[in-house]
Amino acid sequence: MNDNIMDDNSSYMEEGLPEGNRGGAVPEGLRSLFDKLFASPKVRKVIIRTSVITGGLLAFLLLAAFVLYIVPGMQEVVSAHRPKLLSDPELKEDKNYKKQISALSGEVQRLSRKYASYTSGQSYIVINTTDNKFFLYRNKKLIRTGLCSSGSYTMLKTEGERKWIFKTPKGKYRIQGKITSPVWRKPDWAFVEEGLPIPSATHPSRYEYGVLGDYALSIGDGYLIHGTLYKRFLGMPVTHGCIRLNDEDLEAIYNTLAVGSKVYIF
Amino acid sequence: MENNIEQAPGKNRQTGPVITAVIITVILIFFTIMSLMAPGKKLKEIRLKFGPEETSENQPDERLYSDSAYMALLKERSFFQARTSMAETDSVYMTLNLSDSTANLEISGVTVHSVKISSFRFSGILKRTDDYAISSMLAQPMNITGDLATIKKEPLMVKMAPKDTSEFKPDVIPDTSNYEPVNYILEMDNGIRIYVYQTTDTLKSNNRRRFYFDLRDRLSTAWQYAKSAAMFKVPEYHPFIKIRLPKADAKIIYRALPRKGQVAVYM
Repeated sequence: MNDNIMDDNSSYMEEGLPEGNRGGAVPEGLRSLFDKLFASPKVRKVIIRTSVITGGLLAFLLLAAFVLYIVPGMQEVVSAHRPKLLSDPELKEDKNYKKQISALSGEVQRLSRKYASYTSGQSYIVINTTDNKFFLYRNKKLIRTGLCSSGSYTMLKTEGERKWIFKTPKGKYRIQGKITSPVWRKPDWAFVEEGLPIPSATHPSRYEYGVLGDYALSIGDGYLIHGTLYKRFLGMPVTHGCIRLNDEDLEAIYNTLAVGSKVYIF
Repeated sequence: MENNIEQAPGKNRQTGPVITAVIITVILIFFTIMSLMAPGKKLKEIRLKFGPEETSENQPDERLYSDSAYMALLKERSFFQARTSMAETDSVYMTLNLSDSTANLEISGVTVHSVKISSFRFSGILKRTDDYAISSMLAQPMNITGDLATIKKEPLMVKMAPKDTSEFKPDVIPDTSNYEPVNYILEMDNGIRIYVYQTTDTLKSNNRRRFYFDLRDRLSTAWQYAKSAAMFKVPEYHPFIKIRLPKADAKIIYRALPRKGQVAVYM
């Protein structure tokens, strides 16, 4: 028996491996699982195919990232340039340089004054059609702001050729007229959108009283700043192009703006 | 003999992918080189078009273009000239003052809306503030030639007129909820692109949509570059200015600017 033990021990010593470290770092259970998996040709095929597809996808993503992100980044690195702006004392003593600087400085001041003069000290109103808000200015100061309603961006189409787009025009306009107790002279679309027959130009049904509030200011092309019965829709784009205000705001604007006052709509 | 026959198919299996990889690498290198040449070509074009006119009588002192005081005044004058030119119309236009980080909507010289730019960055080419040609290019108002956006410029609703009063339906109360993300690109006539991204309401879905919007633009640019490179032409580079604005203001600006509006930039 002792001989056998000695024989066993000597065989281990010959191999140089201490007992218990056979099989490397992979646990025995996992190794047997891998062996079982790769033993099956079908499973081996699937694993290889999946690896190839995954590898291909990764390679494609890397390629796409390179083309879409890295190359544009490299473009910016290549074209980057730190401005070499200096303050040369010798140049500053040059007569021609002083003349150029003086001329340029004068021109900048002139342009600055000219640009500042565009903002008048007179009253004007600014209308934001995206947020449906107005801003009233006097002497370059904001004196009042509030909600309004502007064009609904609706296109009314008939089965024939006629169509109307209800939107508030953008740009600079002027108050062309001011009236109290305005009467609405209904255009054709007011009848078309209700399915009513279009009356003659002078027919009494063309005139509607009390729907435009106490005041109206005309900005041209049929567009008005006026009051509304539908106060709950203030702040929303619901009109046919005109600008609607509540009674208090309308009165303040009517009393502040004069004929010729500017209206800025954006 | 048998061993040689066994080895040949294995070799064929290896050479296919290797050749493909080599071809792809060569194409990629060519594409990269052509892309890297594009900004230089654009800079040359700008210098040709906007560079100083040299006549025998009026030789400019080149030292002026390296002088900080002179270039600062030149930039300021350029900006005012551009704004004054745009103010002569009655239309809405935009001014970007990257020095103050403000974006303004103006009409005839009057600021009607002002917003703080949350963050911005721009092309390396446009950083050449010591370049007379760049300053000269920015002195002129830029005209919008096209745009791409995640929102509609004019959210038009079509309504068919009722045939009679029985078909009449009152107008639907408009949906003023603000759920669409606001990102857009304005293309200018001088090749510059202005990218506007929203900053507020950064829901995950909005971030995802901004990513896809940006990806779409990058894919389009890469495709244009690939087409040019395939014809052995240097692609056209578009200097960019990317700004981030609060969502509501980004929307206001986009809806206010006319389709062929104008923009002035101060850097």
